[in-house]
Amino acid sequence: MTDLLRILISPVVWLAAFSAVYGLHGVLCEISIDGTGYSRAWARPMLVGAFALALLVQMGLLALLYSTSFQARPGFARTVSRTSGWVGLVATIWTLFPTLAVTACG
Amino acid sequence: MNALARHRRLTAIWSSRPGWKGWFSTVNHSDVGLMFLATAFFYFLVGGILAMLIRAQLATPHSAFAGPEIYSQFFTMHGTIMMFLFAIPVIEGLAIYLLPKMLGTRDLAYPRLTAYGYWCYFFGGGMLIISLLFGIAPDGGWFMYPPLTGKIHSPGINTDFWLIGITFVEISAICAAVEFTVSVLKYRAPGMSLDRMPIFAWYILVTALMILCGFPPLILGSILLELERAFGMPFFQVGLGGDSLLWQHLFWLFGHPEVYIIFLPAAGAISTILPVMASTTLLGYRWVVAAAVALAILSFGLWVHHMFTTGIPHMGLAFFSAASTLVAIPTAVQVFAWIGTLWKGSPRLRLPMLHILGFFFTFVIGGLTGVMVAVVPFDWQVHDTAFVTAHLHYVLFGGFVFPILAAVYYWLPLVTGRKRYFRLGEVAFALIFLGFQITFLPMHWVGLMGQRRRISTYGAEDGWTAINLISSVGGFVLAFGLAMVLLEVMLNVIVRHRSERNPWLAGTLEWATLMPAPAYNFASLPHVDSRDPLWDDPDLPVRLARGEGYLGDPVGDRRETIVVDVATGAPEQHVIYPANTFLPIVMAATTGGFFLSVLVKLYWVAPVAVLGVAVLACIWVWRLGSREDPGDQSIGRGIQVPNITAVDRPPGWWGSAFLLVANAIFFGSLLFGYAFLWTVAPDWPPPAFVAPSIFVLTAAPVGAVIAIVACALAVRNNRAGKQPVVGLLLALGGTLGVAAAFGVFLIHAPSPTAHAYGATLWVFGVYVVLHALLAALMLVFLLCRHRAGYISAVRRAELAIAPIWIGYLGVVTLLVTVAAYLPGLVT
Repeated sequence: MTDLLRILISPVVWLAAFSAVYGLHGVLCEISIDGTGYSRAWARPMLVGAFALALLVQMGLLALLYSTSFQARPGFARTVSRTSGWVGLVATIWTLFPTLAVTACG
Repeated sequence: MNALARHRRLTAIWSSRPGWKGWFSTVNHSDVGLMFLATAFFYFLVGGILAMLIRAQLATPHSAFAGPEIYSQFFTMHGTIMMFLFAIPVIEGLAIYLLPKMLGTRDLAYPRLTAYGYWCYFFGGGMLIISLLFGIAPDGGWFMYPPLTGKIHSPGINTDFWLIGITFVEISAICAAVEFTVSVLKYRAPGMSLDRMPIFAWYILVTALMILCGFPPLILGSILLELERAFGMPFFQVGLGGDSLLWQHLFWLFGHPEVYIIFLPAAGAISTILPVMASTTLLGYRWVVAAAVALAILSFGLWVHHMFTTGIPHMGLAFFSAASTLVAIPTAVQVFAWIGTLWKGSPRLRLPMLHILGFFFTFVIGGLTGVMVAVVPFDWQVHDTAFVTAHLHYVLFGGFVFPILAAVYYWLPLVTGRKRYFRLGEVAFALIFLGFQITFLPMHWVGLMGQRRRISTYGAEDGWTAINLISSVGGFVLAFGLAMVLLEVMLNVIVRHRSERNPWLAGTLEWATLMPAPAYNFASLPHVDSRDPLWDDPDLPVRLARGEGYLGDPVGDRRETIVVDVATGAPEQHVIYPANTFLPIVMAATTGGFFLSVLVKLYWVAPVAVLGVAVLACIWVWRLGSREDPGDQSIGRGIQVPNITAVDRPPGWWGSAFLLVANAIFFGSLLFGYAFLWTVAPDWPPPAFVAPSIFVLTAAPVGAVIAIVACALAVRNNRAGKQPVVGLLLALGGTLGVAAAFGVFLIHAPSPTAHAYGATLWVFGVYVVLHALLAALMLVFLLCRHRAGYISAVRRAELAIAPIWIGYLGVVTLLVTVAAYLPGLVT
């Protein structure tokens, strides 16, 4: 099961981070519209911060998958787990990049 | 024992009962798999006839063939049948039939659950078909958006048929998913490590995990919408704190992964068949596995791309647009791996290969139009037009039907033991391929010209007449082609023209069985040293028939197999399966009684049916186990392993763990819905919060903690040879304390019909009470089993399962308590 965990961990963490950032975006925009909490100006720094955090977590996971303590045995499991580690990192960059570039609550 | 005597002995042990009783009591995976496939293709026929009716209606402008009400039933049922009663069950049937054979074992993990799943599908699907015959079929579109499907706009029973029938059918999918996950991970031939698994098994494993995560949101949505319709709980009514967009989120949290749930097993079939057709191995096995995993998980981040026109902020659109384009990459990795496999091999243009080529052409077009609709401005233009209808058919027919037809022709000799004689298949393929393109390619254009989906008619002045007529003609050509496939399959079953063994010269283990495959699959289980055992050892089938593998000597009437280590495939446990029984069909009928009572609003029957299911479940489990400690069992080749009753992680533990994954996703979806309403829906915060109750805030967490600790102690004591009774009784007290606490909570909670807040709290409360009662039932059952002598320090497997359910109860108790009281306390 540890091999399966290694294979699944990075994409699953991407999914969690992606959903969390989308949820955070919803909450921040709702608060901004109501005008009861943080101003709209807070939305982008928080979203970018969340993006950065997700990136750091993915890079940490990838480092783990290459580390001697956590890496899988040579062969199938090592190749597939490292590949899915890169999938998690690239997916995080590609799908959360809009936090840097697109209107936050437009 | 010689090979023939062994064959006769094993056939007697593993076969279904003779005569009609066999159909209703069989639990053998080959029987149930074929029953699934036959039923699914019957529904395909029904869905196809509905498609013909749709095309007949749209062939000419101002058509009077069917009125709008009936036409709405046509397209709703066409989509519903094709998605829920054909595509998913075909996958289930194919995997149920093939997996044990490909994995080199004798059956799936839980044979009775396989049969129960089939009967749930049979009865649930039957409900929907009956509604169609009586003209009261669902008519709100296959995705059933409220408020159209709410009580106000759809007061009839039509929508209820969909919500209740589909939820019933989905039990079958969840059963199959648990079954496949545990079977692929634990029920393999010794030596079959993860990297030696057939690629089809990888795809099925990934798909099963997707079903466990993808179906619960829809089950939750269906329950919430039915609660709204039946009892007025306003989850989707804006005026009372609900939001119809919540349905869209829940539906597409299921609906988008569903596309990949359908595609991935089909891709698994291609990855299996194509290398055989090219006389080579699959190029980039590891990359293909990684791509399948990536595609599966990425597909859960796309659901909002079906909601681009709902007014979501730009950044939200950009997230999902980006994710939607990203899935093209793992898909392309697979496509290039298949092309590369063809390149390095020597392709033979046999009939399955024709369908694979049809897949390539059609699916790639569907994928490209998918990238087009992933781009938000383009999607805004074509949303809800015939362009999207064309796109989804290119993806689903191209990505599923062509591969499944390839699979039908590829594995048909294994099922029937015969080869094709009349050669209708090539003509059928030509008709299907051309008919499909003629039907759906023009649909892109008529969509771009503005034709909406689901319209029952149009005017001649719209300029769509010629294109629609061409589409309709193409649709009927396609239907002729599919009818010829059906005819050829029937002829193949009837005409005795025996096939040679392993006719495609494949390397995977299913071809090591007799043809047609016997009920027991393998006379003795193989030891696997490579991914293509038959290529490495062509004599393997003969040696297995001689009993030179594992478990080659039948013992009594035992249905035996082996459980292995997940990663290495080393033998771990010895299994004795239950025999044929009517329990699955009786339990499915009783489950159906519950759904039917809700449908016809005979609510007093519902608790009786639930009680019936609980009693049957107890009988189901009671029949397992033994009153004597089993020693280590010899499985052949000088290896001894413990029986599954004498281990800490029996197959039941694995099944429970994966079922709880689905359960947790269900609960997580409920929490998401609560947060969504709180954040997005108008009229929140609610007019009044639930008042804090000292009793609930004390009894619930204390009861949960007592239950968890006492249950763990009971397990530990039993393992040490001490009495587990006190621990079990204490745990029982704890779970009943949780049930009582949330019973009180339900009494004091705000009215569930006044505001979505009260309705959500009510669902939370009922969820915890049901889980507490379920845990209590498990504990009472264990006490009875202990008293009856089924549990000992050695026979400890049964005790291992309750703690994970009770642990789960503890977690949801904590989360619901926080979700219910924290907002009120903070505000």
